[in-house]
Amino acid sequence: MFGFLFIIILLFCLAIFFIAKRHAINIKKQNGFLHSLPKYYGFYASLWFSIPTLCIVLLYSLFAESFVTSNLVNSLPENIKNLSDNELTLVLNNIKNFAVGNISDSSSFASIQQAADFYNAQYDLIHSVVLYSSLILGLLTFIYAYRSITATYRARNFIENAIYLLFFSSALVAIFVTAGILLSVLFEALRFFEVINFSDFLFGLSWSPQMAIREGQVGSSGLFGAMPLFAGTILISLIALLLAVPIGLLTAIYLSEYADTKVRAITKPILEILSGIPTVVYGFFAVVTVAPFIRHVGSLVGLDIASESALGVGLVMGIMIIPLVSSLSDDVISSVPQSLREGSYGLGATKSETIKKVILPAALPGIIGGILLAASRAIGETMIVVMAAGLSAKLSFNPIDAVTTVTVQIVTLLTGDQEFDSPKTLAAFALGLTLFVFTLFLNFIALKIVRKYREQYE
Amino acid sequence: MKNIDQHNVNQKKEFETVGSISSSKDVVMSVKDCNVFYGENQALKNINLEVGKSEVIALIGPSGCGKSTFLRCLNRLNDTIDSCRVTGEFSLEGEDIYSGDMDVVLLRARVGMVFQKPNPFPKSIYENVAYGPKIHGITSSKRELDELVDLSLDRAGLLEEVKDRIHSPGTSLSGGQQQRLCIARAIAIKPDVILMDEPCSALDPIATEKIEGLINELKENYAIVMVTHSMSQAARVSQRAAYFHLGDLIEVGDTKKIFEDPEHELTKNYIHGRTG
Ligand SMILES: Nc1ncnc2c1ncn2[C@@H]1O[C@H](COP(=O)(O)OP(=O)(O)OP(=O)(O)O)[C@@H](O)[C@H]1O
Ligand SMILES: [Mg+2]
Repeated sequence: MFGFLFIIILLFCLAIFFIAKRHAINIKKQNGFLHSLPKYYGFYASLWFSIPTLCIVLLYSLFAESFVTSNLVNSLPENIKNLSDNELTLVLNNIKNFAVGNISDSSSFASIQQAADFYNAQYDLIHSVVLYSSLILGLLTFIYAYRSITATYRARNFIENAIYLLFFSSALVAIFVTAGILLSVLFEALRFFEVINFSDFLFGLSWSPQMAIREGQVGSSGLFGAMPLFAGTILISLIALLLAVPIGLLTAIYLSEYADTKVRAITKPILEILSGIPTVVYGFFAVVTVAPFIRHVGSLVGLDIASESALGVGLVMGIMIIPLVSSLSDDVISSVPQSLREGSYGLGATKSETIKKVILPAALPGIIGGILLAASRAIGETMIVVMAAGLSAKLSFNPIDAVTTVTVQIVTLLTGDQEFDSPKTLAAFALGLTLFVFTLFLNFIALKIVRKYREQYE
Repeated sequence: MKNIDQHNVNQKKEFETVGSISSSKDVVMSVKDCNVFYGENQALKNINLEVGKSEVIALIGPSGCGKSTFLRCLNRLNDTIDSCRVTGEFSLEGEDIYSGDMDVVLLRARVGMVFQKPNPFPKSIYENVAYGPKIHGITSSKRELDELVDLSLDRAGLLEEVKDRIHSPGTSLSGGQQQRLCIARAIAIKPDVILMDEPCSALDPIATEKIEGLINELKENYAIVMVTHSMSQAARVSQRAAYFHLGDLIEVGDTKKIFEDPEHELTKNYIHGRTG
C-alpha cells in the first residue's frame, strides 16, 4: 500500500515540479524579472503538493489501527465482545493473523473468516480514502501554490525555511529517541524502586539478586545493594585508564609533534585498526592470553591471583581505549596553533620545553575532555567484562580480586527466562539507569570542557 | 607586465646589491647566496645581505615577496616547516648559523623574534614575559625575575596599562597590546639581534611612537632587522633599507638614499606607490 502511494505521490511531485518551473519561466519571459531561479518555484509547488499527503499519512499511522480495531470489536458477536481484555486481545490477534494469511488457530470461533474479511475490507477502504484524499487535497494546495507564483514571490527564501525545518526535525528525532530510551528505562526503574528502597540500592553494600521463589525459602533474600558493582566498575575502569592515558597521551604527543609525515601515515591507521577490533575479540584475548599470564606472573611471586582478576580485564580494556585517548588528544594537540610553537621556539625553547610549557597547558582542557570520553566508554563497556570478569559481587579495591561490574550484572539479570515484574529483572533497569545517568554526566562535562577549549582559539 | 618585471629584474644585475657594510668589523650577521624553497617554489633567490652593529635595517617590499621568509632564515625558524629548504651561508658574529655545531636553541635566544601576528601564549601576562628568562635561567631569584618582567613590559610601553592585572591571561589583551607583550617577551631574554616582523602593524600612532622609541633605544646595543609596510616608519627608524621584490633583493643601501634617489626602477615605483 505504502509503496504504491509513495510512487504515485512521487510521480505527481515530479510532474508538478516541471509544471511550476515552466510556469515560472513563462512569468520571467513576460515580466523580464523573477525573484528566484525557476527551479525554486518547482520545489515550492511540489512541496505544497506533498504537505497534505504527509499529514494524512501521519494521521493514518497514528489512528488507523485503533480505528479499525474498534470497528472490528463492534462487529464481533456478543459472546466474544464480553470476553475479558486479555482474551479479547488474543482473539483479535488471531483475526489479524488470519487476515494477513498467517493461518493460525482457526478453531477459536466459527466466523473467523468473516471477521478477517471485515478487517481487510476496512483497511482497503481506509487505504483508498488515504490515496484519494491525499491526491485531491494535494492538488488543491498545488493550485493555491501555482496561483501564488508571481515574479516577486520569494520562492528561494521559502525553500530555505523548508530546508531549515527538515534539518531541525531530523535533530528532533535524535532527541526524541534519546528521551524515549531514557523514559522507558526510567519507568521500569521506578517500578523497581517501589519494591526496593532507593538509598538501599545506591548505598547498600551487598548484592545478591536471587529472590525467593517459594515462600520461606532460605538463603535467597534478594539483596540489591549496588555498591560492590559500582566499586567493581570503577576499579576496572581506573585500571584501564591508568594504562590508556599515559600510553595514549605519549603516543599522541609523538604522533603530532615528533613523528614525520611518513611515520604518521603508517601509525595512525594501525591505531585505528586497534579501535576497530570487535570487543568480543578483546574479550577472549583477555580470557585466553592476559588472565593466565597474570596468574602465572602472580604465582611466580607467590601471589594467588584470581583468573578473573580486575587487573586482567582492566588492562585489556585499557588497550581497547588507547586509540580513543590517542586520537582525541592528537586532535587537540594538533589544533594548538603553529604560531604558539613558533613563538616558543623563537625564544630559544627546545621541543620538549615547548611541549611541556606551551602545548600541553594549551591543550589540557581538550585532553581532559578526551579522557573523560574514554572513561565513559570504559564504564559502559560490556563484552570484555562479561567474558573475562567475574560474577561474584565482592566489595573490593584489590586489583587481583575478581570483581563484577554493572554491565555484567545487567546481562546476567536479563539473560534466560525471566519474569518481567520481579525485582530481580527490574533491578537491571535500575542499574541501566544509573549507568546511563553517570555516563551522560561524564559526557556532558567532557563536551563542556572540549567546547570551552575550542572557543579559546577560534 | 610580467615581461617588464623580468626586464627590470635583469636590469638589477648592473648594480651591485650585495648589501655589504663598509667596515667589516661591525658586521653582526651576514648572509651569502641565500636561496629558500617551499617545496618546488622558490621564495628567495640569491640574497646577499649584511647586518651591522647598532643599526636598524628595514626590509620593505610588496606582500608575498619573501620578507618574513628571510627573517625566519636568520634564526632557523624555517627548520620547523617540513617543506622548507634553505641554502646559502649565514653567519652570526663569525659563526656559521646552519652548521651542525650550531646550537639552534641558543641561536634563537641570541636572535630574538617578534612575529607578524601577535602570538601570546595562553598564560598570564607575567608568565608570557617570564617564559624566556625562566627556560634560560637568566635570573637567579624571584625578585630579579619580577624586576626583569617589569622592565621589559615598561620598555615595550605596556607596563602602565597592565600593571594591575599582570596575572590575567595574555590572550585577554587587545591586538595591539598583545603585540607589545610579544615585544616585551622577546627583549626579556636580551638577544643580540632582534628580528621584528611588522611590529607596529596593529598599533595606534601613540603605541607606534613608543615602539619606535624603543627600537631607537635598543639599537645602541643590538642589531635590529625590521619588516615594515610603512615607508614613513622605515624612514624614521632605519639607517639602511632593503627592497625585496618577488624573492629578489633588488636594492639595499642607506635609507635616505633609497628613499630619495633609488637606483632601481622597481624600488622607485614601490616607494612612490606605483606598481609595475
Ligand atoms: N609555510 C609556507 N609554505 C609554503 N609557502 C610559503 C610558506 N610561507 C610563505 N610561503 C610563500 O613564500 C612567499 C614569501 O612569503 P612571505 O611570508 O615571506 O612574504 P612576506 O614578504 O612576508 O609578505 P607579507 O608582507 O604579506 O607578510 C610567498 O609566495 C608565500 O606564498
Ligand atoms: Mg610577512
